[in-house]
This record gives sequence, structure tokens and C-alpha cells, in this order.
Amino acid sequence: MNQDELTSKIAFNVIQGRLEAEDEGYHEGLEGQPGVTELVQQALEEGLNPKTIVLEGLTAAMDVVGEKFERGEYLIPDMLASAECVGAAMDILTPYLLEAGVESKGKFVIATVAGDLHDIGKNIVSIMLKGGGYEVIDLGADVSTEQIVEAIEEHQAPFLGLSALLTTTMRAMGDVVDKLKERGLRDRVKVLIGGAPTSIEFANQIEADAHCRDAFDAMDVLKAMTA
Amino acid sequence: MIIIGEKINASLPGIKEIIESRDTPALLELATSQAAAGAGFIDVNVGTGVGSSQDEIFSMEWAVQVIQGRVDTPLCIDSADPVVLEAGLKARNGKPSLINSTKAEEKNLKQVVSLASDYQSHIVGLAMDETGIPATVEERVRACEKIVSACDKHGVPLENVYFDPLVLPVSTDIKQGLVTLNTLGVIKEKFPAAKTAMGLSNVSYGLPGRSMLNTAFLHMAVYAGLDAAIMDPLDKRLVSAITVAEALTGKDRYCRRYTKSLRGKH
Repeated sequence: MNQDELTSKIAFNVIQGRLEAEDEGYHEGLEGQPGVTELVQQALEEGLNPKTIVLEGLTAAMDVVGEKFERGEYLIPDMLASAECVGAAMDILTPYLLEAGVESKGKFVIATVAGDLHDIGKNIVSIMLKGGGYEVIDLGADVSTEQIVEAIEEHQAPFLGLSALLTTTMRAMGDVVDKLKERGLRDRVKVLIGGAPTSIEFANQIEADAHCRDAFDAMDVLKAMTA
Repeated sequence: MIIIGEKINASLPGIKEIIESRDTPALLELATSQAAAGAGFIDVNVGTGVGSSQDEIFSMEWAVQVIQGRVDTPLCIDSADPVVLEAGLKARNGKPSLINSTKAEEKNLKQVVSLASDYQSHIVGLAMDETGIPATVEERVRACEKIVSACDKHGVPLENVYFDPLVLPVSTDIKQGLVTLNTLGVIKEKFPAAKTAMGLSNVSYGLPGRSMLNTAFLHMAVYAGLDAAIMDPLDKRLVSAITVAEALTGKDRYCRRYTKSLRGKH
């Protein structure tokens, strides 16, 4: 199999959400064919450039998944299956990327804010960011304002993603922004927020830099921000 | 869920005639339609209740050869007579088979379990003994234990055994639905390597609205640990009951089969 065939096969299986050979895909009859983990291993053994695998195999595929999700063709579990593939592929590829001296697009601290335990959306964004070449520092869920601000300071991270699913907890996002200002860190970090109850209006109100509708929108926002 | 297609059974209306008249196209239609609908095994029961054991042997050989000439799906060789079982297994020529069945009765165990060993076949073990179907969970599990020791003795691995907890109508004994479900649970706990299989429709015998009862019973059985259902794979309502139950019990990665089954319908 040549390089292009292999990367497009990886992309195909990310879109199908097939981690391993035994997995069912979005479409029928794929069981038994190698999944993303097997194909990524094979690609590395055949000496493919890990960066090419990420760009042509993973990132390109997630763009397609994003389109399908926006159109309503893909449902939440379909997207999660694809995101899991990207996450697993990145776990395999990260040491090779580091070895190859591929620079990350920057550190990205991400957290679900204090009082809120919802982390599904945050985890998807986290995987997408990894696939997109960011060095993700995922602080988890129900993270205090203090911890978030400390992480920004400690890692000198230029990006912060905040998630909340409740109208009661989304206010903590405003606290984080205020605290960043207080510590004189606000100008050094872009704050992106997301989660079901959030909106552009809310982002403006708390003086965040951007509101992201979903994981795919977050990637678009970042692209525009860093262009 | 593995579906064991139940439609080729001489006790069902019209099937006896197909067998007696050696109606090859009709038999093949029953086999191919069940295979296409996703059956993991096709049950073959040719016991018409008339004629000799030799007649059933000839019928079994005919049915197995006709079906395997066209369909790759493994066959479930179904007879109460060990001689007929052996004829069916021999006709399979080493292709995968499931013996249906043995019960925990000494002579039966000896003959049928050794067939499973000789022909490297899978086997259904009924949770009953020489006295019939026990009314309690404990007695049914005891019958399964007897089958397990026979399998150990003949070198049949438990991975190849499907225990049937047996299903009696709730119309005659209201506790029977629960006895079956609890037996399933205990079997899965005591013999995790073994599988479970059962027919469902007996539970609703004698009552109106049978399909409602069968569907709900299937939901519960999936939760209790049923691995294989002996049913009509073309029964869309039952098939979708499996899909729904598996999505709700963590047996359907990313709800794949559930969402596929509804794609374009909502």
C-alpha cells in the first residue's frame, strides 16, 4: 500500500469511527478490516511521516465528520466514535511527533468550571485539539477558578477553553476572566468558552474572546484566531 | 445477540409437508431468507412425529445437504434422537454446527455430549433432567451443573455450551417469567464462559397480545444475560427489541446498530 492509500484509509476509518478491526463502522460490513489503531501502527512501521498521518489521516477526516454532524447526518455517538479514533491515534503518534521535532501549535488549557461535572463536550474538544496539533492540558471537570488561573500562569498557555453545561455554573466563567485580569494575565491568553447555555452575547458580557458552538466550531474559531 | 432461526421446524404449520415431499425450493427459501435476515444459526428440526427413526435420519441428511449447498450460515441440528443428531452432524462434513440439545439425564448426556466432542460441535444444554422441567431456579441450575460435569468429562469446553434456562407460560404459573430470567442470571454468574440461548414465545402462550409480552420478555432477557435467541429472524418487532435492549445495556458500541436501524426513518 502506498502512502496516500494508507492515509486515506486511516481517514476513512476515522470517519467510520472504527478504532479496531472488530469494530462496526457507520456503514455496514466493515468488521474484520483493520481499524484506526492498526492502520496507524502500520503507517509508522512503513515509515510514514507522523505529521502527514495527523494532517491527512486525522485532521482531514474530522473536518468531514464535523460537516456531517452540522448537517445532522451524524449523531452524537457517531461523532464520539470518530473522536475516540483521533484520541487513540494521537496517543500512538505523540512520541513520534515529538521525536520528529514537530512543534505544537501552543499550549491549550481546558477545563469544565467549578461546580459543574459535565465533561463530555469538553472531552471532545480536548481530543479535537490534540488532533489539531495543540498541546492540551486538560484539568478535568469541576475545576476551581484558582486552579485554572494557576495553570495558565504555570504553563504560560496562550489558550484557555472553558466549558459549562448549567446556567448556574456558567457564571464561574466570568469569575475566571476577572481573576485573569486581576493577576495581569488577561492579555496573554485567549479565552474560548462553550457549552449548551452559553452564547456569543454571554461571551461578550463576561469579556471572553470567543464563543464556540461545538468542537468543530472551536477548531474554526482557533483557525481564524491564529491566522 | 445471536439469532437462531427457528423456521425450519417440522412442528410448524406447512413445514412437515415441505419435508415429506422433499420440496427443495421451499426449504431453500426458508434457509436463505433467515440467513439474509441475519441469523447466526439456522435450526433444522425434521421430526415429523410419523415414521421411523430411519425416516428422520433421511430427512435430516436431505435437509442439511440441501441447505449447506447454498447457505454458509452454521446449522443448529435439532432432534430429540441422538442418532438423528449424529446423521445431521455427519452430513455437515466438519462445517460448524450447534447440537440442539441435551438435557441433564445420564443416558442423554453420555450420547449427546460425546457427539459434541466427536464432531467438535457447539451444544445446547437444557436446564432440565429426567423428571422434566424444574419449577425453581435452584433445580434448573443443578441440571446445568450436571451438564457442565459431563462436558468436562468429554472434553467439551464451556465456551461451546449454550444453556437454555427454559421458558414456561406465565398463563399457567405466574412465577415462570421470573424463574427463567433469574436462572439466566445465575448461569451467567456461575459459568461465565458458557453462553445462554432460549426461545421466547412460550412465555406468552395462552394469553392475548402475545407479541407485546414476547418483546418485553426479550428486553428483560437481554438485561439478564441472554446471548442467543431462538426466534424468527424475519420478525421485525423482535429484532428491533434486541437492538433497543442492547443499546440500553451497553452491548452496542456507540449505539451503532440502534442508530443504523433507524437511519432515514425519523
